[in-house]
Amino acid sequence: MTRVVVVGAGPAAHRFVECLHRRGHRDPVVMLGAERRPPYNRMLLASVLAGALPAEAVTLPDLPAGVEAYRSATVTSIDRATRTVHLDDGRRFRYDALVLATGARAVVPRVPGIRWRGGLSPQVRPLRTLDSCVALGPGPVCVLGGGVLGVEAALALRRAGHRVTLVHRHPYPVNRHLDAAAGTLLARHLADRGVDVRLEREAVRYDEGLLVLRDGETVAANTLLLCAGARPRVELARAAGLAVAGGIVVDDRLRTDDPHVYAIGDCARYGRESGGGVARAWAQAETLAALLTGGRRRYEPVPAVVRLRDPELSVVALDRPRPRAADGRAETVTFTDPAGRRHAALEVLAGRIVRGVLYGLPQATAAATQLFDRDLPLPADRLALLLGTPPRTGTGDLPDDAVVCFCNTVTRAGIVAAWRRGCRDRAALGEATRAGTGCGTCVAEVDRICERLGAEPARGPATETGRLLAVGSGVTP
Amino acid sequence: MTRTLVLIGHGMVGKRLIEALRAGEHGNDWRVVALAEEARPAYDRTLLSSYLTGGDAERSALLTPSVPDDPAVRLMLGTPAVRVKPGRRVVHAAGGERVGYDALVFATGARPFVPPVPGHDRPGCFAYRTLDDAERVRRAARPGRPAVVVGGGVLGLEAAAALRALGMRVHLVERSDRLMAAQLDAAAARVLAAFVAGLGVRVHHATTVASVDGGPGGAVRGVTFAGGATLPAGLIVFAAGVRPRDELATAAGLTVAPRGGIAVDDRCRTADPHIWAIGDCAAVHGRCYGLVNPGYRMAEVVAAQLLGRGGKTFTGSDASVRLKVMGADVASFGDAHARTPGAVEFAQLDRAAGRYAKLVLAADGRTLLGGILAGDARAYPTLRAMLGRELTIMPPGLLAGAASGR
Ligand SMILES: Cc1cc2nc3c(=O)[nH]c(=O)nc-3n(C[C@H](O)[C@H](O)[C@H](O)COP(=O)(O)OP(=O)(O)OC[C@H]3O[C@@H](n4cnc5c(N)ncnc54)[C@H](O)[C@@H]3O)c2cc1C
Ligand SMILES: Cc1cc2nc3c(=O)[nH]c(=O)nc-3n(C[C@H](O)[C@H](O)[C@H](O)COP(=O)(O)OP(=O)(O)OC[C@H]3O[C@@H](n4cnc5c(N)ncnc54)[C@H](O)[C@@H]3O)c2cc1C
Repeated sequence: MTRVVVVGAGPAAHRFVECLHRRGHRDPVVMLGAERRPPYNRMLLASVLAGALPAEAVTLPDLPAGVEAYRSATVTSIDRATRTVHLDDGRRFRYDALVLATGARAVVPRVPGIRWRGGLSPQVRPLRTLDSCVALGPGPVCVLGGGVLGVEAALALRRAGHRVTLVHRHPYPVNRHLDAAAGTLLARHLADRGVDVRLEREAVRYDEGLLVLRDGETVAANTLLLCAGARPRVELARAAGLAVAGGIVVDDRLRTDDPHVYAIGDCARYGRESGGGVARAWAQAETLAALLTGGRRRYEPVPAVVRLRDPELSVVALDRPRPRAADGRAETVTFTDPAGRRHAALEVLAGRIVRGVLYGLPQATAAATQLFDRDLPLPADRLALLLGTPPRTGTGDLPDDAVVCFCNTVTRAGIVAAWRRGCRDRAALGEATRAGTGCGTCVAEVDRICERLGAEPARGPATETGRLLAVGSGVTP
Repeated sequence: MTRTLVLIGHGMVGKRLIEALRAGEHGNDWRVVALAEEARPAYDRTLLSSYLTGGDAERSALLTPSVPDDPAVRLMLGTPAVRVKPGRRVVHAAGGERVGYDALVFATGARPFVPPVPGHDRPGCFAYRTLDDAERVRRAARPGRPAVVVGGGVLGLEAAAALRALGMRVHLVERSDRLMAAQLDAAAARVLAAFVAGLGVRVHHATTVASVDGGPGGAVRGVTFAGGATLPAGLIVFAAGVRPRDELATAAGLTVAPRGGIAVDDRCRTADPHIWAIGDCAAVHGRCYGLVNPGYRMAEVVAAQLLGRGGKTFTGSDASVRLKVMGADVASFGDAHARTPGAVEFAQLDRAAGRYAKLVLAADGRTLLGGILAGDARAYPTLRAMLGRELTIMPPGLLAGAASGR
């Protein structure tokens, strides 16, 4: 009998116990969560905060029968010798396998005035938990941090009618995932929607209702929403003497340096992988559930798909874990449309996307994300993929009136006419039309026209048919 | 009645004017007097580099260009025009002859711009425009010795390639941060620079030559850069741009465009109804082109007028360029820098293969407006032919997988 104890009740823990059950694990499972709510989906918190979604709407599906789940149950220490966890209220639970899924907590910037009496000033809220998403009071809101979260929150709050300022330290929002071109478009979108965007600014002080920036400027902030990133919650693991380095260090079996202790989700650190996200949390939860039920799986870093959740925006950043050396060999495919506010930049290795940013290209985003997810090669005509148009091929005829030879203004029609009169190669065509006799640049195109005409069903005199076919052999029409 | 056309300059464009005129004539409406400063008839100036690097046959073909024997054309070689008197409709030729005209066409081309840095005229400094220039460079070239080319444009790269082929150790000095700045974007210029560097040409970006330093006897011994660094070199080629030769026209009281060039309208007419200007010396609505093709178009426009078919206009010509030096294949065509309002850009860069391709399309994403190719410009003729049209073919060089051309 294996008694599994899970610390944490976020998406990682939730998915883990669900998979464990689905895989037939019927031994005792205990889930200990510090929050007073049942597990919920954090991704939709901005909408809850803005009042667009009721709190209940984000609750995750019920846990499988048999899972002993405790709420408001905070684990304060791990006794690895006795394989026991201790709770703040004195309860204790013994484990055979301990799964740490303690997630992350919002970063609270070290700005005087934000902390108050050992906690946070009442007007300051980190955007991380459902409890922090109760309705906002009146007055202007300042969102501190222009990452994915900050941008989503700013737009949602603005849509709900709040006055919103977004303060971000970098030259453009979501700089961790976007390139400058997409980030700049995003900043313009925010401004258009009425968000007051302050870039390359840093907060130095918070005085009730007022955020002071380094350059002395002040931002009205009856509410200060912290979106300055999240940090893995590692204190429990560290106190228990487990290896910690930017997260609880795990191997490809999600195991810490104690064979009875595992870590998954935002709190775990595998290799060079950094940053959290539900896709990663889910992949780790599923892998660990498989391993604990006798499977042979190994965890492999998942490709990251970061989307901005906003009804008016189509923004995605793709990133596949890969050896650093690969970057120098990647091809770069870019599409820029400043006026139309569209942008794409893809890095392609062996025909497949390894990294990418797409902005304002919903159709291309859907197609590219699919290919990325399934690690499939891009089609040859990447422009068509990005524009969502039918792919072109490398063959086809120019329009008849297209000028082929610029030196002598010879059109395709002129060359075709000469061909029909019997000029069957570059030299003969050149003599008849002067095409290709100037700078010589167009001879390749003249050759191509010849080749394609050769492949065309003969329209010339019947006696010439044999020659036509000979020229055209091997060329597909 | 036969009228007289006086043509000043028998370069590529002047020659083309005569051809177009003679091809369109039925009788002998025009008698042509062509005053040529150079001692030989028009040759293909774009092949100057092959003169340096090619074999004897190529050299002699260039040195002895053929002109059709035509009694209606009097070609006065080595006889520059020295003065034009529009009031009397007469041109003074060097040597004293005066030629009256019914129509006068300037086709005086351009001269190389030599930056006025101290020492720019020392023995060992050369321009790069005429066969005589090329011959001088050829004689001065010393394999294994360092040479400096000033200017990283098309001409500078050609000159660098030629000097490299002559065995010299070439340094190329470019004022801006990219080669062929007029034609390429940063990514294409990087591809080109990497390629050029791989061939042993040392490129000095973002700097200028502040002075040309002399040794004993005054001959070139090296250059000093703007930053103070010095570089030994016995041969300097200036390829820092060209200036239209408009001085004769200026002296004759004709209007010159603000940035140089004889001011003409889209029929290549000056304000004087008897005088036209075509080719590198002409500024059509203020713009000089400096390329052969636009010059040819202008020659055709003027020929049509002289033949009484005045309808044709010069509607502008894009500055499409393909450079094929040292195996670096680079091209730029149409609106290469996406200056058209609403234009979109699509680019593919393959760093490892040293290949870059960019298409500029209209806002609809279909109409081809221009582009840049570097490392492999085989798609250029096809793309250029599709300029202004819907891009219905994706040339193999721009299709992934087909890019290697196999
Ligand atoms: C507003 C918002 C939007 C987001 N949007 C996206 C998105 O679009 N896409 C995406 O991929 N990711 C998104 N994320 C991140 C995503 O929510 C996290 O990656 C995910 O929640 C990680 O799950 P987890 O279970 O590892 O950690 P968490 O969700 O942080 O859950 C950890 C839980 O453990 C509890 N806990 C911690 N310590 C203890 C303890 N000692 N005892 C008991 N319980 C403890 C915590 O209270 C918490 O409930 C978003 C996050 C936020 C806040
Ligand atoms: C090395 C090199 C490579 C080039 N490569 C290309 C290329 O690949 N593609 C391209 O499009 N362009 C190229 N060019 C530019 C191209 O050569 C010019 O655009 C073209 O020669 C212009 O023709 P033109 O007849 O107007 O001028 P020119 O060819 O310069 O001819 C003008 C002639 O007029 C003569 N002249 C001047 N004043 C007088 C006077 N007072 N009396 C009598 N004669 C006079 C000059 O001596 C000269 O012979 C290149 C130029 C050079 C130097």
